[in-house]
Amino acid sequence: MKRRSFMQKFTLSLGVIGFTALPFGVSRLLTPRLVAEPHRRIPLPGALKDRSEFLQACIGCGLCGEVCPPRCIQFHKSDGGKESNTPYIDPAHKGCILCGYCMEVCPTEALTITPPREVDMGVAQIDRAACYPWVDQGVCGACVSICPLGETAIDFEFGNFYRPDVKDACVGCGLCVEVCPEPSLPIRVVDRSEGKVARHGVGFRQLDKWQGGQRLKY
Amino acid sequence: MSWMLIQRHLNKLRWFILSVIFGMLILIPFLHLYQTYEAAHAYDLLSPMEKTISDSMEWLTSPFIKDPETELNQLKGTTWSGTLFGLKLSDPLAVVGQVAAGKMIYLPFLLTALIPILLSIIFGRIFCGWICPATLLYELNDNLAAWLRRAGLPVSRHKFDQRLKYLVLVVGIIISMLTSTIAFAAMYPPAILGREIYYAIALSGFGAGMVFFILTLLFDLMVTRRGFCRYVCPGGALYSLLGRFRIFRIKRDVAQCNDCAKCNVVCQFGLDPLRDDFSQECNNCTACIAVCPTDALSFTINIKDQAFQGPGHLGHLHRKHQDKGE
Repeated sequence: MKRRSFMQKFTLSLGVIGFTALPFGVSRLLTPRLVAEPHRRIPLPGALKDRSEFLQACIGCGLCGEVCPPRCIQFHKSDGGKESNTPYIDPAHKGCILCGYCMEVCPTEALTITPPREVDMGVAQIDRAACYPWVDQGVCGACVSICPLGETAIDFEFGNFYRPDVKDACVGCGLCVEVCPEPSLPIRVVDRSEGKVARHGVGFRQLDKWQGGQRLKY
Repeated sequence: MSWMLIQRHLNKLRWFILSVIFGMLILIPFLHLYQTYEAAHAYDLLSPMEKTISDSMEWLTSPFIKDPETELNQLKGTTWSGTLFGLKLSDPLAVVGQVAAGKMIYLPFLLTALIPILLSIIFGRIFCGWICPATLLYELNDNLAAWLRRAGLPVSRHKFDQRLKYLVLVVGIIISMLTSTIAFAAMYPPAILGREIYYAIALSGFGAGMVFFILTLLFDLMVTRRGFCRYVCPGGALYSLLGRFRIFRIKRDVAQCNDCAKCNVVCQFGLDPLRDDFSQECNNCTACIAVCPTDALSFTINIKDQAFQGPGHLGHLHRKHQDKGE
């Protein structure tokens, strides 16, 4: 009898909780999901190309972060899931200076020693509709002057002063993203397949459709 | 005789080493902060707090080194994996996890774990007792449990099967293989502690690992004495297996023993030195040697454990036995 009354109370309380939770669930289903574009997290210099291979190799010791002079290496903490305790670089916060200490100190094969010009962390992409000089709203040149690889990686466009143009040698270290003064970050580090110039807007969308290009990532 | 005298103070030496290693785990992130300030060449732009850190670390290191930016890189890392004057050292558990996750062996990484593996083959679970930074906190936690028990609270009284941790090791290897990540990194207290201290000091804020570690502390305090190390820790399981045929073992000298059972009370791993039962679980903490009033316990070179030698010759049980014989 005692057990039965306990079970009755238990089911009753479960029912009450479920009934009160119902409106929240329904409202959750009805509201559209608005997701802001997250900060781009780029891999470390010299990291294994395949992401799953990198996760197999990284033991999460944090040595790469402990030797990083600009302290640009961050770690997935509680939001990581499968990637928890593995390192990443957020170029909007701080960019990599390509010193190579992290590759030297890594005990596993997750980071392999690579010369600075052969590092492949991505490529800088410029949104020409938001960059000040590209829309004739001022002079800047911060990204060009900070670039550690010089004019082979990013340079002013020929004949257009202060309009930056990313070249082939860019390794995606993200220093240009760190120093960019425009808050919406018209320059960002993306995967190489996404191109060095952001493509969006009506004309570009049509162009893409005609060319049968890949899905727009914006 | 002199060796016996030294052995009685090994426990103090162990506490000193544990404190030094724990202190280094806190000091190394501060040294890293100092390095980054030096690398930036911007002392004037630092906040007062950062200036204090920079000044104190400079005071600490300037007698020994000239170029902090590069020379301080020689001493980095945690007990999970670190570099010590060019020598890279890693936890064997990290190697096991990586081999399970990647399904292949990377030789340079295997070599980094060679010295710890050799040490544990010779001494058994010496990492658990002498190096692990979590051990310091777990032992302090156990002292707290003893205070609570003295105050009359029924805390940490349960007992489980010590073989549970081998199951945890096997399950961890299987999870590593299935998810292709190193699952041990998230559930191994020395790895968690070293990493989280670094996060807290240099990267502003603890991660999820600290919650897990505090839960293990509560488990030890409330449920069972040193429960995590004895029943759950996968690293402890690996070290136990490596040290199964260890050379150095603690042995009871039956002629000196008086059956006072202080060793059984002081052993946090719940072993039975009074009946010659040290098994592979002993972590060489030497607390039983330090507490023994007649110096009956000592380190000896033995491949196998001693079988039960009967009651100690100075105790009343042995005397009764003899009287009956005569």
